[in-house]
Amino acid sequence: MTGGRVASMYRPRTVGEAVEMLAGARASGAEVALLSGGTDLVPALRSGERSADAVVGLRRVHELRVRGAGADSLTVGAGVTYTDLVGWSLSPGLARTARVVGSVQVRNTGTVGGALGSARPAGDLLTFLTAADAEVLTVSPRGPARLPLADFLAVGPDPAAIVTAVRLARPGGPQTYLKTGGRQAAFPAFVSCAIVMDRMSQRMTCAIGGVGGLPVRMGEAERAAIAEVDWASGTASAAAIRRFADLVAEAAARIDPALPVGPRESAEYRWHAAGVLAGRGFARCLASPEPTAWSGP
Amino acid sequence: MTTGPGPGPVDGEAAAEEETYRLYVDGFPRTVSGAWVGDSLLTVLRDVLGVTTVKDGCEQGRCGACSVLLDGRLAAACTVLAADADGARVLTVAGLGTVGLARAVRAMFLAEGAVQCGFCTPGFVVAVTDLLTRRPDAGEDELREALAGNLCRCTGYGRILAAIRAVQRDRALADPDDGVVGSGGGLARPGEGVVGSDGPAGAGP
Repeated sequence: MTGGRVASMYRPRTVGEAVEMLAGARASGAEVALLSGGTDLVPALRSGERSADAVVGLRRVHELRVRGAGADSLTVGAGVTYTDLVGWSLSPGLARTARVVGSVQVRNTGTVGGALGSARPAGDLLTFLTAADAEVLTVSPRGPARLPLADFLAVGPDPAAIVTAVRLARPGGPQTYLKTGGRQAAFPAFVSCAIVMDRMSQRMTCAIGGVGGLPVRMGEAERAAIAEVDWASGTASAAAIRRFADLVAEAAARIDPALPVGPRESAEYRWHAAGVLAGRGFARCLASPEPTAWSGP
Repeated sequence: MTTGPGPGPVDGEAAAEEETYRLYVDGFPRTVSGAWVGDSLLTVLRDVLGVTTVKDGCEQGRCGACSVLLDGRLAAACTVLAADADGARVLTVAGLGTVGLARAVRAMFLAEGAVQCGFCTPGFVVAVTDLLTRRPDAGEDELREALAGNLCRCTGYGRILAAIRAVQRDRALADPDDGVVGSGGGLARPGEGVVGSDGPAGAGP
């Protein structure tokens, strides 16, 4: 058929086996691709955009399909699909994000680990996980490791490691994810925005995707918003919401390096959209409890 | 959770470039050998196994023409690595069966004029059957969202949605707000009773 190389297929059943097979194949000098759902990798192999000598398929590794809740944190296995997350009441933000990924076909197939392994900057999940201060859990021949998502994305996936899970704090308030772009089922978001509020610790975080190489936290706008929220009632003035939106748009415009500009992708529109989505998301969080936003501590 | 490990004959080992594996396609075990390890399920179904009931549209997971049920879950076959699907059950439109919901969906696609050039139809029938199995009384918004992964360039989707509503009426599961009482009466339960006639069951010409 078309394409080339990919000469061997590994089908581990445990994380240990997967790490071993990955190491073995790499030791022989092979370029190895990790395969989770396949929504990114398989079309890329077909088109020749990506190539590899060997593929390690992770769909039989049942350990990776677990999601669980501890006292303070949620752990989502790398093999969990978007469809698995859509109805997850423990994380309204993840559920909301998963619900607007691609199409039914993509949500049934694509996984959390795939989003991290592919690390496509426009990936919906990356924006939400950036706002949620998530950690990435990996296993390599050197053993298990965990590191902040921002560090993981900055360096890129360790070629000897397998992403096993992401970990994020249990929600302490409303969370939302909004995006704009072409048809959702076929195209990644143009600009995306995630907001995570924690009413107990009086924190709020906001990440914007689509204005830089990776999703970016909006530190200055976050601090301004936190100062303007009346945390006792969980409300803020309309002026505060507008200021937050303006600060996000201004911060987006300062990101360096800016994304390349195309005939239909003006930088000004991205910045404007970032502000609009941020203001809308903030207002939506403040207006909660909505059934989709937060169901108690 | 459906991973369908299956018999996994080459479990835990790397095999040669043209390895052999097995897929259960429309109920029949099919042995694949001689395919490139990097081939998608779509390529293997069509070019190796001759299963042309899946259509090759975009090869990017965007058009839905190659929609199949992979271990019971709707997937675009072009985004699935065939060698990784070793042991999996694959249902194309041909394997959905000729009774019950699958028959009703096909009958209403014909009766309502939901087929024009027909290229998208096998994928649509798989996706619609999957949707109505999970959500028999899905409303308009849910239908449109759930079918966003299937493109049709002829019909404008109006006739396809009409066919789905006809199936829902026919199976007496229509949204009560729809204001239409199905031919089977309002009390039948999912999976019970007879699927309606092949005719347009109360629909106009």
